Amino acid sequence: MQLFLHDYPLQAAPVSVDVPLISNQDIYMNIALIKEYHENMPRRQAQRLAVEYLERVDLEHIAYKRNPALNPEERFCGMLLRAAMVKDAMILIDQPFKIIPHLKDIQFITTALKKIDDLYLNCHIYDYKWMEEKYGEL
Amino acid sequence: MMSFWENLGRRVIQMLTAFADTIVFAGRVFIRIFRRKTYSSAMREVLLNQIYFTSVQILPVFLMVSIIFGSLLIGVVFQLLKEFGITGFFGHVLMGLIVTELSPLLTVLLITLRSASAINTEMAVMKVNREIKTLEMFRIDVIDYLLVPRVINGIISIVLLSSLCSVALLVSGALFSWLIIGMSIDVYTNILLNAANFSDILIALFKCAIYGFFITLIPIRFGLRASHELTSIPIVVSQGMVNVFAAILIIEVLSLLTKLL
Repeated sequence: MQLFLHDYPLQAAPVSVDVPLISNQDIYMNIALIKEYHENMPRRQAQRLAVEYLERVDLEHIAYKRNPALNPEERFCGMLLRAAMVKDAMILIDQPFKIIPHLKDIQFITTALKKIDDLYLNCHIYDYKWMEEKYGEL
Repeated sequence: MMSFWENLGRRVIQMLTAFADTIVFAGRVFIRIFRRKTYSSAMREVLLNQIYFTSVQILPVFLMVSIIFGSLLIGVVFQLLKEFGITGFFGHVLMGLIVTELSPLLTVLLITLRSASAINTEMAVMKVNREIKTLEMFRIDVIDYLLVPRVINGIISIVLLSSLCSVALLVSGALFSWLIIGMSIDVYTNILLNAANFSDILIALFKCAIYGFFITLIPIRFGLRASHELTSIPIVVSQGMVNVFAAILIIEVLSLLTKLL
């Protein structure tokens, strides 16, 4: 992951248990933060956008929740949307099954990625070789 | 015997190094305050929230403490002035001691207890939870996003709340001067205006700004020293708070020296 971040310093957008959501901010604020900071997007506009993207993954109800109140799937989607906010994002998902331990296959993650495929340039998933069977034909 | 001097020397060197580090860090943050790029939309949002948490939420308690503590103190001071037959000096006592010295000190103590400790813990928890690292991974400058808004908030809050505290004390003064000495509002106002020294008020406001800067900067600095273990939180919080109180004492002594010289 460090190598990826080094190679694409401006576009790398990590999704990992080691890159948690900011716990003293609501989820919509976590997502909006990237646009507010890097593109100086006005607060209301960025937050509207964040809620709109949450609606896309059918999670608008978590907009005003905080990290500890989320289940693993909701947490993953929050992290994914935050990563997608990076301009020309190259999303790097590091060990997705560590974020959502009870998942049996990659279906949930690919579905979530498809719903927001216009928001990022490409997506890389890193995991250990022994997790290969969970990825099926991907 | 030698080991005693070695230990003492090591302690002194450590203390001086830590002091120099804090001053250098303060310089870095201070420069960022004047950089236009620092004021992103995200930073402005944090600044507004911080001002709300520090200055607005505390208002009822702060006003109550200022009025109760201020009234009692002014009552005692006026009673003493009357007993010693030096009521003619009450304007100077009120402006020189209570308004320019006591209200900044009372304000900074209340804000330190409430907000500085919260900031210290918040930073330590963010460090332990790897949230600081998260911000860095998304190329969000921690000084711009976390430190500068809190420091600016500290400066604004202490200056404003100290002024408010002074107003509360002066109103109490009006009440007690009428009750104890039987002085009318007109005479009271006149004496206050004559006793007011512009340079003293300026020094008091400047002192408040310095207080605000350091009582937010030091807790942040210590909070960020936490390791990735939960047990490091109480250690850095207690270290931070001790250092904040030491800084308050140093600033108070320096301001008194400024007045004497």
